[in-house]
Amino acid sequence: MAEKTEVLRLRDLAWQARVNLCKLCGSYGGNIHMGGDMSMMDVLTCLFHHTMKVGPELEEDPKRDRFILSKGHGAACMYIVMALKGFFSYEEICETYGQAGSKFGQHPCKTHLPMLDVSTGSLGHGLAIAAGLAASAKQRGQNHRVFCMMGDGETCEGSVWEAAMTARAQKLGNLVAVVDRNRQLMTSFSEESICMDPYTDKWKAFGWNVVEIEDGNDMEQVTDALDSLENADAQIPTVVIANTVKGKGISFMERQIKWHAGSLNEKDLETALAELDAAREQQRKEQ
Amino acid sequence: MKQSYTLEEYNSARSVVGDTITNLGGKDDRVWLLTPDIGFGCNDFKGKYPDRFIDTGIAEQSVVGVAAGLAYDGNIPFIIGMMPFMSMRALEQVRTDVCYPNLPVRIIANYAGLTGNGGSTHYAMEDMALYSSLVNMTVCAASDPVQLRQIIEKSLDYEGPLSIRIDPGKENRILYPADTGFEIGKGYMAKEGEDLTVIACGEMVSDALQLHEEAAKLGVSVRVIDMFTVKPLDEEMVLKAARETGRIIVWEDHLMKNGLASAVADTLCDHGISLKSFKRFGIPQVYPGFGNAEEMYHLYGYDLEAVLDYTKQLFGK
Repeated sequence: MAEKTEVLRLRDLAWQARVNLCKLCGSYGGNIHMGGDMSMMDVLTCLFHHTMKVGPELEEDPKRDRFILSKGHGAACMYIVMALKGFFSYEEICETYGQAGSKFGQHPCKTHLPMLDVSTGSLGHGLAIAAGLAASAKQRGQNHRVFCMMGDGETCEGSVWEAAMTARAQKLGNLVAVVDRNRQLMTSFSEESICMDPYTDKWKAFGWNVVEIEDGNDMEQVTDALDSLENADAQIPTVVIANTVKGKGISFMERQIKWHAGSLNEKDLETALAELDAAREQQRKEQ
Repeated sequence: MKQSYTLEEYNSARSVVGDTITNLGGKDDRVWLLTPDIGFGCNDFKGKYPDRFIDTGIAEQSVVGVAAGLAYDGNIPFIIGMMPFMSMRALEQVRTDVCYPNLPVRIIANYAGLTGNGGSTHYAMEDMALYSSLVNMTVCAASDPVQLRQIIEKSLDYEGPLSIRIDPGKENRILYPADTGFEIGKGYMAKEGEDLTVIACGEMVSDALQLHEEAAKLGVSVRVIDMFTVKPLDEEMVLKAARETGRIIVWEDHLMKNGLASAVADTLCDHGISLKSFKRFGIPQVYPGFGNAEEMYHLYGYDLEAVLDYTKQLFGK
């Protein structure tokens, strides 16, 4: 079981990241993918601030863990979580996000932001690239892990399952796929448009280790699940399926198709921040 | 008499690919070999360097993604595949996973043009158009094993993604002496000539060399440029040929629109060059049926006979 103080630290970070994301969504003139950002926020925070061996001081270290945001439209969320780790400042994101010449665009680009491991954006591409990085590490006898964050919607892409077979055949136990199972695509609920359940069985049928998090927005469960990963020298790749809520933390965004992406006006930003404040107060009372 | 042979024997004719990559793999441990189940010619490499070999099964998208991941980590992955599927099924992976981050992935793929008698599903007739459209991609079409070996060897230190189309021919058709030098990005002047220039690539180069001989008998001097790098095009060599011969034929086993001929025409147009004559030979806008390559070239009017007839007309022979 994860230490309580660590869980609380991570919960605070995720809370701060949600606040920062809402503020960015309030100041930026265009769309931010709030739904999927908020659903994966807790897992992403745990990965960057607890699980993965990464950090600005390790950028050139070949033994650092690698991270691929295969659901590349969640870039804003990743930038904000990375800023809390000290990779760059939150202010720099807010001042330049989405502007010509910015390092911080709607989808992550390594050419513009060299500290990233991979450029992504088109869905269904990340897992195969992650498999390549994992195969390279294994061949060199390195012991780091490769993490690949996907949305459940993106696993509609057949290329994900091609890569799943390759990774299993290559015995890439150093590869960890994480699926943000928020049960929504852009314009529909996943089970209405494409029958994904029984979802864990699909990964099991491909021969992967499956770790399911019942509530992927509960930091204690997230931390416990990510602490239970097998060593990187294992022979079988692992998928962590995090059951989450799209738009988590903001009542008017939760499970709302229209909030796949959007922009916050002053009033809605105020409401969102008030909700986050109230949620934190509640959490503190319970502690 | 009919000889029996296995698919492996048929396909391994261009074992120059497998042999060359195996040699490179011994010299440089950044070299990986990957294949989406086109593993003929891979066995030697696989036997010697099993930890740097991956067969993804029939999964072109996966093989390109995995190669991109390897290249991100400083490796030089070679993919041996079939061109119709490498250029179409995996096009987005090639574009977004490889070309966008400008990674040194090498794609070597057979069934170029109307070779292999597989019908339209198995003809790569759009690949040079598709790959030439990709920013950062270098597009090669090999005409001979000596050239093919050199392109592969030189690709080791070449920046960015590179592709080579080849045919699945049973016999190695050797056009050039072993010491011939080829530079990626430069055309190769295969024959000097003054009256007319043929710019060809891949399968059509051997026919272009025969045209040179046949035309010479008629007193027509044909320059032959083996433009094995289709992109980036050796514009200087094209402009020089335009200046010095005034007539150009472009001859390719590919759609005659959006391939080599279009690249040459772009160059001429961009430089405001007008010629005495410009003629394309290649695949028209059809989905071709079945037949061996020679039958196809004849049917669609781009075999040696067709080009020789045109040359005769040009010079009133």
